[in-house]
Order: sequence, then structure tokens, then C-alpha cells
Amino acid sequence: MSAVPAVDETASATLKPARLRIWDGPTRVMHWLLVILIGVCWWTGIHNQLEYHLYAGYGILWIVVLRLYWGFVGSSTARFAHFVRGPRHMLDYARTLHRRDTDHSYGHNPLGAVSVLVMLGVVLAVVGLGLFAVDVDGLYSGPLSIFVSFKTGRHLAHMHYTWFEYLLAVIALHLAAVAFYYIYKRQNLVFPMISGSRTVAEPVEEKLRTVPVWRLLLGAAIASAIVWLVIDGVYYFT
Amino acid sequence: MSRIGSRRVQGAVLVCFCLIAVGAVAGPAEIAQIKPRQDKLRDMGGALKAVDDELKKRTVDWDNVVLPNVQTLKDRSGYLLNWFPKGSGPESGVKTYALPAIWQKNDDFVKLGKAAQAETAKLAQVAAGKDAEALKAQALATGKACKACHDNYRSPDYEKENED
Repeated sequence: MSAVPAVDETASATLKPARLRIWDGPTRVMHWLLVILIGVCWWTGIHNQLEYHLYAGYGILWIVVLRLYWGFVGSSTARFAHFVRGPRHMLDYARTLHRRDTDHSYGHNPLGAVSVLVMLGVVLAVVGLGLFAVDVDGLYSGPLSIFVSFKTGRHLAHMHYTWFEYLLAVIALHLAAVAFYYIYKRQNLVFPMISGSRTVAEPVEEKLRTVPVWRLLLGAAIASAIVWLVIDGVYYFT
Repeated sequence: MSRIGSRRVQGAVLVCFCLIAVGAVAGPAEIAQIKPRQDKLRDMGGALKAVDDELKKRTVDWDNVVLPNVQTLKDRSGYLLNWFPKGSGPESGVKTYALPAIWQKNDDFVKLGKAAQAETAKLAQVAAGKDAEALKAQALATGKACKACHDNYRSPDYEKENED
């Protein structure tokens, strides 16, 4: 006797679209907080409001550390192991980009994975340079600028601007990709990043595997400790 | 003379006039001020940074770090307003963060410069008391006096190349 249940064609014909959960809450909140804080850093940097620029920068550092942690212990689609694949996998996927009939990827697609890694890397580089950057007014230098000379710190401040421009280029590419998927492939990537799910015509096998909330709290505590160590803690050793 | 040749002569004459006009405002003495001004301002930035950094440490080295650097700030700030003769701005052709507004709104620039001098003199007074918390507050006030001038009379960092 077969284990596969008989298909009820009547039921199949009247099957209602279902919601497929893709992103957990922490991943979405981190994504949008990063968007907001990068915007704040940009505005405050241009308008020389460096006091607030520093606070927003610390926020970004906290998010990046937490996101890296979440990439190892978070829910299934947030994990690097879920979406980071080899170059061959990426090339195979890239060859299908021109086709409009491809299915949605569950979570990040192989090229989106590159985007995530590059984005996190460049954000980390910008933040890292900012931590050592020296403010020309001597008011709001990065907390680790104590370890570099004035001249080196000023040089790092200029590298901080240069790398922010690279970050803007990466963000522009990310937005262009999202627009391409929406316009050409008819896939809305933004809405799932807001709501956490998307509508599917038929039930699919994939299921978001979430993790206990204590893991998030532990990650938040670790990220907070690292940010505190960078801002204040290092002075306990001076 | 051909029409193209005539235009070239006219262009050369115009360039000469421009160079003479710039030279009339930006003489060698004014241009020679720019590099030393940048060096001295960088020294002041380095001195304020040294004071700030020291104040963040658990133990403050007043005699070897704080007081000498505060003295540098006080000494240099006394001459601050002499470092900006007319003609030592971007029109000189030398790479500088100094904005033309320094000479266009010179009264305001001088007012802010004097305010910075006053804050720096006060910094030296407070440093002599060797009270770290009081000096932190005064270093903040001094930095804000620097910022008040930089906000309007110095090119934003991100618009310029690295200063060497």
C-alpha cells in the first residue's frame, strides 16, 4: 500500500494561497535598523553632528556583531551555512538570471549571499576605520583613536569617508538588484523583509526553523559587551 | 592673423590678466603662509588630542603630557588670527581647507577666532589646577570653539583629499 495519500483534485483546485514564513523577526529588525542607522550616520557625517554620528556608529557595530553571531546560531534562513555556497553554485544561479520563470529562492539566493557578505564586510570596514578616526575639532574622535597619532587618525578619517563611498556603491547595487527582481522577475523581495513571509500558490517543503529566544538575548549581551569594550572598556587597561 | 590664431592670442592675454589679478591678491608672502599655517593648526589638533586622550586614561600624566600640550595650544592660539592674510585662501592655487568666507565675513571669523583664543587661555588656567573633570569640561568647550569656526570657515573633511 502506498504511503502517499491520494490527491483530492477538488481540494487542489480550490487551494488558497498560503503564507510562507521566510525571515525571522531579529533578522528583519537588524536589516531595517541598519538601514536607518546608516542613513543617520550619513546625515550626521555630512552636517558635522559627530556626537550623534558616534552613537549611530556604535549602534551599527552592535547590529553587525549581532548579525554575525545570528549567522551561526540564528534561525535557518539567517545562517551563513544556509545561503553561502561555492562559486560554482553562484555561477549556475547567475546563468538563470535572465529567465523570468525561475522560482523564488528560499531565503537569500546565491548572489544575494555575496551581497550580504560584502555588505557586512564593508560596513565593518567603515565602522572599524571610524573607531580610530580623529575628528579635526578634537571633540568626537573614535574611541580607539587614543592608540594612533593625530596625523594617522586624520588619515584614517579620510579612509573612513572613502570606504563609506564604497558602501554607498554596494547599497546602490543592492537596491538595483531588488528593483531588477521586482520589475523583471516579478519577485517582491522587500515585502518579505518587512512582513517576514510571502504568499505561495502551493504549500512548499521549506520551513523556517526558529531558535529559542535565549539565543538572541545571549547574542545581544555579547554584542553589547563588545561595543562597551570598544567604547569604554579599553580605557581600563590604559 | 587667422581667426583661430587671434583667439589664441586673446585667450593667452586673458590667462595673463587672470594670473596677474590672482597674483595681485595672493602674493608670495601670503602663499608662503599656507603650509606653516596648516602645520601649526595640525600641531594644535595634535595637542588637543593628546590632552583628550590623556584625560580618558585611569592615571593622568599632568607634567609630561597635559601641561606641555596645553601650553602648545595656548602659545599657538595667540597667533591664530595672524595666519590668515588675504590671498592665502583657495584663490592662491595652493591646496587648502580655508574657505573664501574667512575674508568675506572677516568680522565674524575674527570674533570666533578670539572666542577660541579665550577658551584656550581658560584651558591653560584650568589645567594648572590639575582637576581632570574640570579640564574635561574645558577641553570640550575649547573643541566646540574650534568647531564653531570650522563649521563655517573650513571645507568639510569629506570634500577634500587627505591632508598631508
